[in-house]
Amino acid sequence: MSYFLNLVFAGLAVGAIYGMLAMGYAIIYKVSRVVNFAQGEIMMLIGYISYSVALRTDASAPLVMLSVIAGAIGVGLLIERFIVRPMLGQPVFSLVMMTIALAVMIRAVVGLIWGLDPYRFPGSATGAPIELFGVYMQPIQLFLLAVYVALCVGVWAFLRFNIVGIAMRATATDSTVSLLMGVSVSRLYRVAWIISALIAGIAGVLFANIYHIGPDLAHVGIRAFPAAILGGLDSVLGSALGGLIIGVVENLAGGYIASAYKEIAGFVVILVILMIRPYGLFGQKDIERV
Amino acid sequence: MLSQAPLNADLHVVNAQVLYDGVVEAVRDVSFSVDAGRIVCLLGANGAGKSTLLKAISGILGPEKGALTKGSITFAGKGLTALSSDGIVRKGIVQVPEGRRLFVNLTVEENLLMGGFTVRAAERAVRLESVYSLFPDLTDHRHRVAGYLSGGQQQMVAIGRALMSSPSLLMLDEPSLGLAPKIVEQIFAAISSLRDSGDIAILLVEQNARLALTISDYGYVLERGRVVFDGDAATLLGSPEIQEFYLGLDQSAGRKSLRDVKHYRRRKRWLA
Repeated sequence: MSYFLNLVFAGLAVGAIYGMLAMGYAIIYKVSRVVNFAQGEIMMLIGYISYSVALRTDASAPLVMLSVIAGAIGVGLLIERFIVRPMLGQPVFSLVMMTIALAVMIRAVVGLIWGLDPYRFPGSATGAPIELFGVYMQPIQLFLLAVYVALCVGVWAFLRFNIVGIAMRATATDSTVSLLMGVSVSRLYRVAWIISALIAGIAGVLFANIYHIGPDLAHVGIRAFPAAILGGLDSVLGSALGGLIIGVVENLAGGYIASAYKEIAGFVVILVILMIRPYGLFGQKDIERV
Repeated sequence: MLSQAPLNADLHVVNAQVLYDGVVEAVRDVSFSVDAGRIVCLLGANGAGKSTLLKAISGILGPEKGALTKGSITFAGKGLTALSSDGIVRKGIVQVPEGRRLFVNLTVEENLLMGGFTVRAAERAVRLESVYSLFPDLTDHRHRVAGYLSGGQQQMVAIGRALMSSPSLLMLDEPSLGLAPKIVEQIFAAISSLRDSGDIAILLVEQNARLALTISDYGYVLERGRVVFDGDAATLLGSPEIQEFYLGLDQSAGRKSLRDVKHYRRRKRWLA
C-alpha cells in the first residue's frame, strides 16, 4: 500500500510540472488555435536564465523569482513581436511550424550559451523528506504542488472574472466578433504568450530545483503535450488536471510493470480517452441550437 | 477613453469601393450618410453589398481579404480608414453582426461585459444595469450560457452587448433574421425607442424592407454593390417601383410576366 501511495505522490509531483506546461499549451491554443511546440524549450530557456541569476546572486530566492517573471515577459514579448505578429492572417498551420523552428533555435542557443551538460541548480537544498502515512515527501515537492494549486486558482479566477480573461474565452469562440467589441487581438496574443511563458518558467525553475538543469528539460514539453490533449486542448484547467493524471499513470506503469513502460503509458491513456471523448476530458464541444 | 457622443456624430461614406481578394468588386461607388438621432436603413437582396459596407465601416474586412480601395469613410469629421477595429469601437461605432454571433459558450453577463471591453470597469457596471433595464427579460438569464437562449433573447443580448460601449453610431445587420414576427416587432420597437431616447445614430441593414422602412427615417436601396434608390422612408414606401420589386406589392392585379421584370432591370441598370 505504501509503495502504491509513494508512486502516486511522486506521480503527482511530476504531474504538476506536466500540468503547468499543459496550461501554457492550452492558453495559447485557446486564443489563437496555435499549438506551441516550443513550450518545453521556453521552459528550459527561462530555467537557464534563472540558473544564471541564481549562480551570480548566491541563489537569492526573490531575485530568482524576479528573473523568472522578467524572463517570461521578455520571451513572451519577443515571440509575439517577431514570430506571431508577422504571421497574423496567415494559416494557423504556418505558425505551428514556426513554433517548431523556434524550438530548434532555442535548443541551439541554449546549447551554445550554457553547454550541453546538466548542472545542479544552486541552492536546491535536498532537505530531509517528510514522512506522512508511509509516503516520503520532499519539502520542495510539497511546495511545487502548492504552486500548482495556486496557479490553477489564479488562472481560473483570471479567465472567469478579469475582462481580459473573459476576452480570451470570447476570442476562442469567435475572434471576428471579438474585434467588433473593440478587442485588440494582437494585444490579447501578447498577454497569452506572456502568461504561458510565465507558467512554463515557474515550472522550469521548480523542475530544475528538484532534479537538475540541462538540455533534457525540453523533453518535458513533449511529455506534457498528452496532458493538454487529455484535458482538452482548449480547456486550461482541464489540461492542468490532465497533467496530474498523466504523471500518476506514468509512475504507476513504471512502478508496477516496468520502467520502460513509463514513457508510453501516458500516450496509451490518451488513445483510450480520445476514443471515448474526442474533445478531451474537458474540451469544449461547440454549442449548436437545433 | 470614455466614449462620449461627439456633437456632430454623423457618418459619411463617400464613393466607397470594396474589393475582395483584389478582384471581386462587392461595393462600387456607394455614398450615404447617417446623422445622429436618425435611423437610416440599407435595403437590398442577398449579395447587394450591405454587410460588406458594415464590415468596411467597422474595419474588419482584413480577415476576409477585403479592402476599401476607393472612397472614404468619415465619422464626426475624422477618417476611419486608417484606424484599427478597436480604434473604431473607441470612436463610438459598434456593430451587431448578422446572425447575432454571440459568444455562445459565455454567459449572458459575460457577453454583455465583452461589449464594454473598451470602457472602464466602473462605467461597465453602470452600462450593464442600463442594458438590463432596457431588456428586463435578460435579468433572469444573466448567468445562463448564451448559446442556450431563444433566438429573440439572443438578439436582445446582441443589441445589449453593442450598447455596452455607449456607442454614438449603432449598426444592426439583419436584426430580424430567423426570428418570429412577434419577436421582430419587439426588437424593432426597442430600436426605435433607442433612436427616440437620445443622440444615437442607427444604421439598419435589412432584407425585410417594409419593416425596416416603417421605423426608419431615410433609406438607401442597394443592388449588386450600388445604390439604386434613396429617399425618405415615407417616399420609398410609397414609390411604385420599390413597392413592386422590394416590397412584393403589386398594384395591377394578375401575374406579371418575367419579360417586364427583365425590362425593368435593364432600364434600372442604365439609370444606376
